[in-house]
Amino acid sequence: MKKTVIAAILVGIGIIIAFPLFSMTYYTMVRTSTPEFCASCHEIKPAVVAWRSSTHVNNPQGFVADCMDCHLPAPHKTFDFFFAKTFHGIKDVIKHFTIEEYDRQKNREAAYASFDNAQCRKCHRNLLTMPGKRGAMLAHKTVLYPRPGYEKKCVDCHYDLVHNDRATIMYKQYRRLPYQAKGLRKL
Amino acid sequence: MRRRRLFILSAAAIALLIAAGVPTNAAAQPNYAKVKEYRIERSVPPEAVACIECHRAANPGIFDDWARSRHASANITCLDCHLAQPGDQDVAKGHDKHYANTDLPYSDEKYKVPIATVVTPKDCSRCHPDEVTQYSKSKHANTIEIIWKLDPWLNKGMNSDNERKTGCYHCHGTVLKIDDAGDLAPDTWPNVGVGRLNLDGSKGSCTSCHSRHRFAVSEARRPEACDSCHLGPDHPQIEIYEESKHGTIYNAFGDEFNFKAAAGTWTPGTDYRAPTCAACHMSGSGKVMGTHDVTERLSWETQAPLTVRPADFKPFPAGNDWQVEREKMKNVCRACHGNSWIDDFYQGFDKAVEEYNEVYFKPAKAMLDNLYGKDLLDKTKFFDEHLELQFYELWHHEGRRARMGAMMMAPDYAWWHGFYECKSRFNEFMEEADHLIATGKKAYVYPKYPNATGDTTRPPKIFGK
Repeated sequence: MKKTVIAAILVGIGIIIAFPLFSMTYYTMVRTSTPEFCASCHEIKPAVVAWRSSTHVNNPQGFVADCMDCHLPAPHKTFDFFFAKTFHGIKDVIKHFTIEEYDRQKNREAAYASFDNAQCRKCHRNLLTMPGKRGAMLAHKTVLYPRPGYEKKCVDCHYDLVHNDRATIMYKQYRRLPYQAKGLRKL
Repeated sequence: MRRRRLFILSAAAIALLIAAGVPTNAAAQPNYAKVKEYRIERSVPPEAVACIECHRAANPGIFDDWARSRHASANITCLDCHLAQPGDQDVAKGHDKHYANTDLPYSDEKYKVPIATVVTPKDCSRCHPDEVTQYSKSKHANTIEIIWKLDPWLNKGMNSDNERKTGCYHCHGTVLKIDDAGDLAPDTWPNVGVGRLNLDGSKGSCTSCHSRHRFAVSEARRPEACDSCHLGPDHPQIEIYEESKHGTIYNAFGDEFNFKAAAGTWTPGTDYRAPTCAACHMSGSGKVMGTHDVTERLSWETQAPLTVRPADFKPFPAGNDWQVEREKMKNVCRACHGNSWIDDFYQGFDKAVEEYNEVYFKPAKAMLDNLYGKDLLDKTKFFDEHLELQFYELWHHEGRRARMGAMMMAPDYAWWHGFYECKSRFNEFMEEADHLIATGKKAYVYPKYPNATGDTTRPPKIFGK
């Protein structure tokens, strides 16, 4: 047989194996990336319930920031994203069966520690042009262009923002008091 | 006759018109200060308009101060600092009732917002995070913890709570509390002490140095910003500064200094001819970056009983290396002085510290411990025996004056108010101590010690229960 024919057959077999493999992986990734999937673990459910009542879901833009938008590296960092997601998936299953009780406060701190400003800045990109909020402009400058040794995270000042247990849903458009960052969390 | 009547009538009418047309200012606005004009022409939330309109009438002084501030220039209003979240424990309870007074134009329910009276460094950190981070590491912000770890007045209850409120806590700060009625407890408030412990857990008060509601950098750059606390027999820094050549030049040429330079641009030689307290201890100069941590740039703790390096100051160890910090201070000096001047000056300062430690403090401390060991002095209280007072004044008053006078170049404080007094105190202390040892007689304990009633519990918010 000619070499080209062998090559074509091998490529064909490759496609037959790889296509379902890739599409199943993709399907799994999509299925396991929804807040509903995250809430299927009882440990995470309160966080998802609180998130649903927050302004990250309820705002006049109709924009919704999902769990993964904040808690995992951006999907365009494909390798980091897949690695982090798989790692956390395996870890969460193991922890589910091995730990006594889920400490929400401890995990909140761990989440603050793991946040990278780049995750917030996937959406919050224009942080310096807010003529009505000069104080915020001043503070944001110290984050975007930090003096050496004074690097800060967005969540150092913007915390207790999403996962607060509320009796009512918080709509950004009906916020009566102007939003303010809360100041440095660790003071 | 008719003419005369007409004349009288018209004269009366004119007099009436004059009286009606020229009311005196005092009658129109009794006791009101002239209120500065402020037209709200920029985007300000309606709730903040209500704050401004009400308070410019109720407290024209506060309003006027703010209206002249950089905050007003940047459109930072009352709300940006005083807005609380519903349910915060420091929401001013009494403030709500003003919204029920329907006579006032801004009393409508729609303007109602929760307001916190106390503005804390945490609030300031929303816009000034780096400054607050530096300040939070300083001895300034942590001074309540420091005094409770050191001070016998507090720990032995040797003064009264009100002596503390009007004296100690005025500078060091109170531990703010809410009383049973939900208001700020009057024994802890008002207070702008530099180490105040706030209800949100943050420490200190930015208004100690940047007074309300102007918050001017130009104020904090002047030595007068420091002089309400750093004065007197136990740490006369302002008197020392006044005596030093730096202070002389400030007094002679201060009116030519540019105190209003933008943050980070205040430059020795250009904006000022001689340093103020802030210039050496805080402001940026040459390669040295500005800081709100006043503990930086120190190479000795001249306030401590035994002079130690800041990192070895047990009640609040500075997380730094004194050699790095001294180099920073030398860099500040170099703006106006050559190396030999600086190095030789520091040699004299180091020698003064060494002599104080070795010749005055250590022998006196050894003698004090010896007397306690021999049970000739009673350890239960402090300040109730003459020798304890003598020892205290040796380090806390005269020893500090000697060391600080040497450091900040005030010869009268280094010698006459300093080492001269140390010498005579040391001799009197030793004479009395030797006499007790020779006779084996216990020291006289003041039986009628007045007003030693203060609470001796360390604040649980700092030290835990």
